[in-house]
Amino acid sequence: MEFFQYDFIQRALLAGLITGIVCPLIGSFVVVRRQSLIGDGLGHIAFAGVTGGYMVGLYPVVGALILTVTGAVGIELVRRRHTEFADMGLAIFFYAGAAMAIIFSTMTRMPSTGLLSFLFGSIITVTIADVITIACAGSLVLAVVYFLFDKLMLMSLDEDIANVAGINTGMINMLFSILTAIVVVVGMTIVGILLVSALMIVPVATAHLLRVGFKATMGWAVVFSMSSVLIGLTSSFYLDVAPGGTIVMTAILLYIIMTLVRQCIALKERREDPILSSPGNK
Amino acid sequence: MCEVRMSDIHFSYNNNVAIDNISLTISQGDFVAVVGPNGAGKSTMLKIMAGLIKPTRGQVMIGGKDMATAKGHGLIGYVPQNYGKNAMGFPATVKEVVALGLTLGSAAAKKNRQAAKHITSHMMELVGLEQLQDRRIGELSGGQQQRVMVAMALAANPELLLLDEPTSGIDYEASNRIYELLGTLNKNLGITIIMVSHDIEKAVSYANKVACINRKLCFFGTSQEFDATHAQVRHLWYYTG
Ligand SMILES: Nc1ncnc2c1ncn2[C@@H]1O[C@H](COP(=O)(O)OP(=O)(O)O)[C@@H](O)[C@H]1O
Ligand SMILES: [Mg+2]
Repeated sequence: MEFFQYDFIQRALLAGLITGIVCPLIGSFVVVRRQSLIGDGLGHIAFAGVTGGYMVGLYPVVGALILTVTGAVGIELVRRRHTEFADMGLAIFFYAGAAMAIIFSTMTRMPSTGLLSFLFGSIITVTIADVITIACAGSLVLAVVYFLFDKLMLMSLDEDIANVAGINTGMINMLFSILTAIVVVVGMTIVGILLVSALMIVPVATAHLLRVGFKATMGWAVVFSMSSVLIGLTSSFYLDVAPGGTIVMTAILLYIIMTLVRQCIALKERREDPILSSPGNK
Repeated sequence: MCEVRMSDIHFSYNNNVAIDNISLTISQGDFVAVVGPNGAGKSTMLKIMAGLIKPTRGQVMIGGKDMATAKGHGLIGYVPQNYGKNAMGFPATVKEVVALGLTLGSAAAKKNRQAAKHITSHMMELVGLEQLQDRRIGELSGGQQQRVMVAMALAANPELLLLDEPTSGIDYEASNRIYELLGTLNKNLGITIIMVSHDIEKAVSYANKVACINRKLCFFGTSQEFDATHAQVRHLWYYTG
């Protein structure tokens, strides 16, 4: 296949597959912690980081990393203080990010092709430096999730139980928020800021349809996510469109297919169930 | 040793006094039913014992350790009201959740996979869930979810089990099974149990001590003493506090 022979494709695939692993790993916890919109909030802050970084002459990924991690710390501090209106606090960070991005990008007159590649994702602009950054950040995320897995899972189920056991939930929540920020920045290059959060949520939603255990759900989410990245990147290349759209559309198609499969199984089970299918039993 | 000693405990949420000057000592091996009307401060008292909230005044000592300074007691199992905030729809199997209990306890069992497996399956057997071990907890009934939470707490090998209304919203049969289970754990394993319950008659019949609270401690004594008190007096505790 000529596709795999291009250097830029190889770089994009590598970056994309790492993204495809870490997004649903973090997303599995994000979903059960009822924080599905946090990725979007952080994405807008990352956009402000890219444009702000450009303004002061920083490598955009570094600019995004600094501002997004700062934002994640802020979001977690607000969440801790206002547990009952946590999503309102998140919304304010979301808007602050978007507002700053508008200010910075219009001040610096950043070329719109550059802007669009960050918003929509890109396969041709991935540099070696990007791949190395993504690989390092991805390994960090993997390591932390591996070592804190049980604690994160328990805290997602009930934080009080974890507190009674002496688990430092404040520290772990903060760390998790920062990890989420890192994943958003990792995903920004390939999937783009607008849709990076979708890769954290949609494959996990598809995996939930399988009704398997926690670890299995996570494993399947990674499978769905990596398939979406592979199919999405390939079609992005042949259709000559930005990869963010094709990757996420693939993920959503997988979700729809899985929903239909589930419906069929449920119908079949009902038909084979002698009690449910007997006449007069509704 | 897992004696619970509360002295002069006071707690208020902003300006709303929830616990007013409660002192009591619960001995190792007791099974205490905590009863009282809605909003009496039962959950608050349990959270203070668990170290989740710090009393505005007073001291809690558990097993000789001051809860104000103890960071994670290791001996306490806590089963919150409504069996875990996110249990509904949580995508984990019974086995996975019970195994999480090992994370809570001392490190010994976690290290050894074989031991961990053994403890997990033993706990599921104890609460009668071995047949459901591969089902997701979100798909279980309330009583079954409650038993999962108890099994998880037990996997940590606690000496003191704090349960907040473990039978609320659960049908008669299922709540009987939970009371039976707690009675067995108390008798056979010597676990000290403190259980908040709204079902006074039933709780008192399984417990050996009763604490009736309504902001203040209205009564603390044996179940026999509680049964012997005049209904009129109990009515007074309940509605005047
Ligand atoms: N987080 C809270 N913030 C403010 N007030 C609270 C909070 N939790 C409980 N309260 C109040 O404290 C009192 C005792 O509550 P609680 O301990 O939950 O009672 P119980 O468990 O006996 O029904 C009630 O008046 C309740 O409204
Ligand atoms: Mg209560």
